[in-house]
Amino acid sequence: MTETSVYIHIPFCTHRCGYCDFNTYEGLAALIPAYVDAVVKEIRYVGERVLGPVVVQSIFLGGGTPSLLSAAQVEAILRAVGEAFLVLPGCEITLEANPGTVTSGYFRALRSLGVNRISMGVQSSRPQELTILEREHDFGAAIQAMKFCREAGFQNVSIDLIFGLPAQQLAHWQRVLEDGLALNPDHISLYALSIEHGTPMQRMFSRGLIEEIDQDAAADMYEWSMNRLAEAGFCHYEISNWAKRDEQNHLMASLHNLQYWRNQPYLGFGAGAHGYFANVRTVGVLAPGSYVARMRSLPVRERAIPRTPATAAAKAVDRQDEIGETMMMGLRLLEEGVSRPKFLARFDKDLDTAFPGVIRELEKQGLLEDDGERIRLSRRGRVLGNRVFVRFV
Amino acid sequence: MSQEHIRNFCIIAHIDHGKSTLADRMLQLTGTISDRDMQAQVLDTMDLEREKGVTIKASAVRMAHTASDGRVYELNLIDTPGHVDFGYEVSRALMACEGAVLVVDASQGLEAQTLANLYLALEADLEIIPVVNKIDLPAARPDEVAEEIAALIGVDAATVLQISAKEGTGVAEVLEAVIARVPPPAGDENAPLRALVFDSHYDSYKGVVAYVRVVDGGLRHTDELHHIATHITFKPVEIGTFAPDMRPAAELKSGEVGYIATGLKTVAESRVGDTITHKAKDLPHALPGYREPKPMVFAGIYPVEGEEYGELKDALEKLQLNDASLVYQPETSQALNFGFRCGFLGMFHMEIIQERLEREYDLDIIVTAPSVEYEVLMKDGKTITIESPAKLPDEGDIQEIREPWMTLQIYTPTEFYGPVMELATKRRGIYLNEEYPSHNRVQLNYEIPLSELIIDFFDGLKSRTKGYASMDYHFKEYRAEDLTKLEVLVNNEPVDALAAIVHKDHAFHKGQALVSKLKDLIPRQLFVVPIQASASGRIISRANVKAVRKDVLAKCYGGDITRKKKLLEKQKKGKKRMKMIGSVEIPQEAFLAVLRLSDE
Ligand SMILES: Nc1nc2c(ncn2[C@@H]2O[C@H](COP(=O)(O)OP(=O)(O)OP(=O)(O)O)[C@@H](O)[C@H]2O)c(=O)[nH]1
Ligand code: SF4
Ligand SMILES: [Mg+2]
Repeated sequence: MTETSVYIHIPFCTHRCGYCDFNTYEGLAALIPAYVDAVVKEIRYVGERVLGPVVVQSIFLGGGTPSLLSAAQVEAILRAVGEAFLVLPGCEITLEANPGTVTSGYFRALRSLGVNRISMGVQSSRPQELTILEREHDFGAAIQAMKFCREAGFQNVSIDLIFGLPAQQLAHWQRVLEDGLALNPDHISLYALSIEHGTPMQRMFSRGLIEEIDQDAAADMYEWSMNRLAEAGFCHYEISNWAKRDEQNHLMASLHNLQYWRNQPYLGFGAGAHGYFANVRTVGVLAPGSYVARMRSLPVRERAIPRTPATAAAKAVDRQDEIGETMMMGLRLLEEGVSRPKFLARFDKDLDTAFPGVIRELEKQGLLEDDGERIRLSRRGRVLGNRVFVRFV
Repeated sequence: MSQEHIRNFCIIAHIDHGKSTLADRMLQLTGTISDRDMQAQVLDTMDLEREKGVTIKASAVRMAHTASDGRVYELNLIDTPGHVDFGYEVSRALMACEGAVLVVDASQGLEAQTLANLYLALEADLEIIPVVNKIDLPAARPDEVAEEIAALIGVDAATVLQISAKEGTGVAEVLEAVIARVPPPAGDENAPLRALVFDSHYDSYKGVVAYVRVVDGGLRHTDELHHIATHITFKPVEIGTFAPDMRPAAELKSGEVGYIATGLKTVAESRVGDTITHKAKDLPHALPGYREPKPMVFAGIYPVEGEEYGELKDALEKLQLNDASLVYQPETSQALNFGFRCGFLGMFHMEIIQERLEREYDLDIIVTAPSVEYEVLMKDGKTITIESPAKLPDEGDIQEIREPWMTLQIYTPTEFYGPVMELATKRRGIYLNEEYPSHNRVQLNYEIPLSELIIDFFDGLKSRTKGYASMDYHFKEYRAEDLTKLEVLVNNEPVDALAAIVHKDHAFHKGQALVSKLKDLIPRQLFVVPIQASASGRIISRANVKAVRKDVLAKCYGGDITRKKKLLEKQKKGKKRMKMIGSVEIPQEAFLAVLRLSDE
C-alpha cells in the first residue's frame, strides 16, 4: 500500500505580505471557526468514501498562517485525519508558523497534539528587508518564537529565508544567513524572491519604486550559501532545502515535501488546496467563503474520490504527464536524483528509452551527472534547473 | 441588360480615407446587402483585413440601382486597397472600369496615394468622380479640400461631392454622379468574345476563379473557352456575378463584370492580364495586359523546426494561388538550413504573408531581414543578380555592386519640411525639387536607394511628422554604389542569415549598432557568446552575451505542481520560437535586428 501525505491549507493571514501570491486572505479571521468545521467535513467526506485504508506518513498544515488557528482547532483537524485515515506512528506532522503569532503555551499545546515539526517563516533579519517584504514581525520575534519552540520540546524546526531582494547585496545576505544559522534550526529553506504578478511588490516595481532583482547577484548569494551551509553541517538535499542529521544520523529532511518531489500521492484539504491521489490532480475552490458554503450544503450527486464538493478542478494524469512530472520533481532532489531502477519499476520503461539522447546531452552541457544508477543535477545544474527540467516535460 | 445601363467603376483613395466604408453604404443603399447582414467594411472578407481594418485584396460586387430617371442600372463596383504596396491591385482594377470615385478624407486632405492612384486612373483614361469624405469629422475642412482636388484635376470645386460615408450623407448623390458621368461600356456586343482577367482567387472546389470584365461579345456557361496568352482551353465549372458572394449566372455579356470558375488548378494557368475568348480557329487580338507586379523586397523564410519544411512549402503554394505577386524559391542557409527566398511587393506585404503563415497555417517560422535585389558586375565581366546578402561573392571578384534606386515623393505639412529633409538625406536620399500641390502642404521629391526605404523609413517619417506625412515611390534605375557586406559572427561563426549589404560610409556605425542590438536580443546561454561584426574582412565591433547564471524555480507551495509545470511549458514554447545556430539559440527578433537600428 502506497503511503500518502495529507496537506491542509489555512488561507488566513493578519496582513498580506508584499511579495505574496499564495491563496490567502487578510481580514477573514472571523471565518476561521466555520472554516475549520468545513475542513473537518471535507476530510470525513473522503474518509467515508475512499476504498481501502489510506496510510498517512505526513501531515502538513500550510498557508496562509496556520498558527492563527487555536490549538483546539488544530486538534479538531488532526482528530478528523486520524479518524478518516490510518495515521502511521511517527507520522511527520508539520505546522507553518509566523513569528509574532505564537506563544510558548501554544507550542506546548501543539506538541501535545502530536505536531512534531515547525516551519517558521523568518524570511530575513534585516529590518529594511522585512519592511520591503511587508512582514509584520521583526527578527526579535523570530528569536523569541524559536525559543518558544525549543522550550515546548520541538526537535525538528525549519526556517524559511528569502534572498535576492531588490537592492540586496551579497554582504547583506551573508548577514541574514548568519543570523538564521544562529537560530540553530534543523532545516533551512532558502527561496529566491520572484516578483509575482498581481502582488503589491509588483505594483511597486512597475511604478519604479523598487529596482529590478539582479539575477547574477542572486546567483552569487545562492552559491555562497551552498558553501556556507555545507560548512555548517547541512546537507543540500533539494534545490531550496538543507537539513541537518539527527543523533541517529538520520537526515531531517521534510518527509512531507519529499512526497511531492518523489511524485507520490497526497490528499489536499481546504480552500485552494492541491491534491494528487489515484492519479488525479485536484484543486479546491479558492475563496474560503465559497469553500465553507460548498462544504455546508453537500450536493446530492456523489463525487468520485479524490474529488470532493469543494473541488474546483480535477485532472487525470496520463502516463506521459506522470513521467514528465516525476522527472521535473525528482531531479530537484540533489542527493537522491532520479534512479534508473525505480524509474523502470514505476513506468515499466527504461529511463534512457523514455528520453533518448537527452541525458547525454545535458551531461555534456555540464548540467547533469550520471553514475549509471541514477541521474542528478550537477552543481551548475542546481542554479540552472529549469534548463534541465524543460527537457523532460 | 443593355450596355447603356451598365456602369463599371472603382473606388480609389489613400489608405483609410474611407473607400470600404463608402462601398458599404452603396451596398446598403442599393439593397444589395440587407441592413441585417451589414457589417463594417463588408467587402474586406479576409480575417486579416477585418482585424487590421485595411483592404488587402480588391473585390468586385454588382449592384442594381434605380436612378432618379426612374431606370434601373447595373453598377459594378470594385473596392481597392490604399496601401502603397498594393498599387498593382489598383492598376488592374482600373482596367475593368470606365470610371473611378476618388475619395479624399476631409480632415487629411491630399496624400501620397491620392495622387498616385489618381494618376493611374487618368492614365487608364477613366472618368474621375472626386469626393470629399468624412465631412462629419470636427476637424473636417471640406471646402478647402474640395478646392485642392478641383485644382488638381482641373474641374470646378462645386462638382466635388461632399459626403460622410460613415453617416451615409451624400452617398445617393455619388451613385447619381456615377450614372450621369461615367460612360457606359463601349464594347462590341457582336464581336468575338474578349474578357479581361483582372484578378483571381483559388477555390478548392471550383479551381481558379478568374474575375473578368467582358469587353466584347459575351459568353454562356456551357461555352468552351480559351486563354489567348497561356493557350489553355477549358470548360468553365460555373460563371456568374458577385452579389457580393459568387452568384451563378447563365451568361455574361459585353460590358459586364463577373467571374469564370475555370476549374484550373494553378493561377499561372489563368493569369491576371490574360484575355479569355472562345475556342476558335481565328483568335481575336489580346486586350492590352497589365504590368506584372514585380517583387521589390526579398527575405528568407525558414521553418524553426526542419521537419516543417514540407508544410511551409505547401503553405506558400496555397498563398500564391491567391496572391500572384508572392514569389518564392528554395534557398539554403548555413545557419537556417532549408527554407525559401521570398519576394514581396513591399514591407507591408511581407508582414501580411508572415502573419498568414503563422496564423492560418500555424507554422513557426523565422523571417530574415529584408533585402533588395542587387546587380553585381564581376571582374570577369559577368553580371549576376542576388537577392540575399549571403550570396554576395567575394569582394575580390567584384567589379561593382548596383542597387535599385527609387523616385520618392513625400507629402507633408510644410512645418515638417526640416525633419523630413533630414531623414531623407540621412538615408542617402538625393533631393530633387519640391512642389506645393495644396496650401500648407509640400511635396518633396527625392531619389533614394530602395534598401534605405525598406529599413524602417516609413516609421521614421511618421514619427517625425506626427503621422501627417505620406509617401509614394517607384523604381527608377540600378546605380553602382560603394557597398560592402556586413557580416555577423555569433560564437565566432559567421551567420549568413544575419548578413547585410550596407554603404561603406555606414558600415562602421551600423556594425556597432547591430552588435549592441543583438547583444540585447540574444538570450543568455550556458556559456559566454561573443558577437562580432565584420566588414571587408575586418572586425569592426564586438560584444559578449554573458552566460546565464540562474534559472530555477523556487519551491512548490502546497504541492502545486501544475503551476510549475505551466511555467516550464511556457519556457519550452519560448525555446521553440528560437533557432539553434551551432550551439546558440537565436530568437526570431534577432534576425530582424537590422531593421530596428533606425536612428540611434
Ligand atoms: N468620421 C468618419 N469616419 C469615417 C468615414 N468614412 C470612413 N470612416 C472611418 O475611417 C476608417 C477607414 O475606413 P475604411 O473604409 O476602412 O478606409 P479604406 O479607404 O477602405 O482603407 P484601406 O482599405 O485600408 O485603404 C474607418 O475607421 C472608418 O470607420 C466618415 O465619413 N466619417
Ligand atoms: S505570511 Fe505567508 S501566506 Fe501570509 S501573506 Fe505573508 S507570505 Fe503570504
Ligand atoms: Mg478598404
